[in-house]
Amino acid sequence: MAIVGTFAFEEDFLAAAKNLRSSGFDDISLLSPVPLKEAQEVLGLGKSPVRHYSLAGAIIGAISGFAMAAGTALVFILPTGGRAIITIPPFLIITYEMTILFGVLFTLIGFHFVSGLPAWKDRPYVPSANVDRFVVVVEGAAAEQAARAEAIIREAGAEEVRHMEDSQ
Amino acid sequence: MFDHGQPSYAEVNEDILSTMLETGPKYWMLLGTTITVAGICFFMPWFYQLVVGVGAAGMNRNAVWGSYLSNFIFWIGLSHSGTLLSAVLHVTNSPWRKAIYRSAEAMTLFSLMTAAMFVMVHVGRVWFVHWSFPIPNQMGLWPNFRSPLMFDVMAITTYLTASSIFIYMGSVPDFAAVRDASTGLRRRLYSIFSFGWRGTAREWHTLGWAYTFFAVFVIPLAVSVHSIVSWDFALSAVPGFHHTIFAPYFVCGAIYSGTAGIVTVMYCLRKFLHFERYIGQVHLDSLGKLLITLSLIWSYINILELFSTWYGGTSFELEALSFRLTGFYAPLYWEMILFCAFVPLLMLFKKIRWSWNKMLVISILINIGMLTERFIIVATSQPRKFLPDAFGYYVPSWIEISITIGSFAIFSTLFLIFIKWVPSISLYEVKETLKPLRRDA
Repeated sequence: MAIVGTFAFEEDFLAAAKNLRSSGFDDISLLSPVPLKEAQEVLGLGKSPVRHYSLAGAIIGAISGFAMAAGTALVFILPTGGRAIITIPPFLIITYEMTILFGVLFTLIGFHFVSGLPAWKDRPYVPSANVDRFVVVVEGAAAEQAARAEAIIREAGAEEVRHMEDSQ
Repeated sequence: MFDHGQPSYAEVNEDILSTMLETGPKYWMLLGTTITVAGICFFMPWFYQLVVGVGAAGMNRNAVWGSYLSNFIFWIGLSHSGTLLSAVLHVTNSPWRKAIYRSAEAMTLFSLMTAAMFVMVHVGRVWFVHWSFPIPNQMGLWPNFRSPLMFDVMAITTYLTASSIFIYMGSVPDFAAVRDASTGLRRRLYSIFSFGWRGTAREWHTLGWAYTFFAVFVIPLAVSVHSIVSWDFALSAVPGFHHTIFAPYFVCGAIYSGTAGIVTVMYCLRKFLHFERYIGQVHLDSLGKLLITLSLIWSYINILELFSTWYGGTSFELEALSFRLTGFYAPLYWEMILFCAFVPLLMLFKKIRWSWNKMLVISILINIGMLTERFIIVATSQPRKFLPDAFGYYVPSWIEISITIGSFAIFSTLFLIFIKWVPSISLYEVKETLKPLRRDA
């Protein structure tokens, strides 16, 4: 059973989130219509691992870009005025573009892995969280804990508290 | 930021989503018109050219590049401000970006698509266009990565991919808002588009990081794309093309025409989607100041191009320059100077900069000038190559003129479809500029 509290004001929502965390509730989700740095701090979200994906993508792109250009030159040898077969300046342009292409694609993959999206399964959700409300979701709590969580949410000034099914 | 009072969070959703969910007959008439014009002016002449051959265009032995390539550069240039401006303003955390960036990014995407169409028209045998990609084909061909045209293929493919991802990822939270506001098939579609977004702190956190990385990748990419397009010309030995200044010249020109394009698009959005509340004087003023700056840089580079040619003293370059300034196409050259160097100076006056109608006229004139600029580069250089026996003229045929007109209809069609599928203004980023939902606010 998930406890879902809806708030009209940001500070009430953040207070509820902090109190829940300090009371030992770890499996909480904080839904808001705009990104809130304070909410991310409550959950202890620091530097995102997405950056590792970006770096890995950029490195792989750079290596594969240069390898593709140089490999092509070695397979289809076109001697031009005694110049080197592997010519650095033009191949660096291909390397540069591939660095960015792979960097972007890996960042996209990283986003999906880290955020857990796509997630089309049923999860506790209140559509007004996408308009003008803040929502705290406490999942996986046993009956006694659920009552405690509900009390904390109500005490913080929730407009509405609902019980929903946990994520499927 | 808001000329007509600050909207509430709920009003932001209502105002912006209503432009997607409610469609009147005017929209369908406009869409029908643009599709018809695109069909008649672009696709039919192109089909005719495919049947009779690329000789249907006005290109000839000396001028082997014509309006298709100048249009290609124009559309690539127009694509530049959207994603680039959006990325730069995102990294520098500029609040005025938030209401205009989504449509500006869409402009990038559709301009790139239109530009890609011109490559296909230009190459003639479009069914062989896949030979330019590093993919296996039946002849065992593989591209030559030392060619600037291959740089182009790589750069534009990367730019198209990165721009698509950039606009899509920024739209995911808004797709969720559309999902929540709709029913039936639309709801199911937007459930897929939004990846099941709920707006959790973890999702926002990850999106924020990923989006910043996209922006950081896109900025140097955008600069590289038009530099590479300029090298299609500058790496040749043709007088009028062979200038080291071409990369910054093209990049500056691209951002310049793209910014002017944003003003035109913002005018239309404001007027026809009634976004007066969200796109206000602050946006117009900021874009106006940016246009003046870009106009001055563009003028400086033009003076530099003239000076370096004169100072270099090469007879072939001087001949090409003389042809440009006083020859057959001289009226177009001076029209370009008037529209891109002098007319924008009017924006130094606040009265002009704050008038939507005047800014619309100036932005259109700038883009006419920039379209001319690209045409002049292509049309006055190749017909003045080195020796008089290679001298000639290039005049676009009716097919080329028709295809040029049709390209604007293609762009408009894509944009009209876009405004019904994606919120034209970012919901959550506009909300970020509003007073926070706090008791003390």
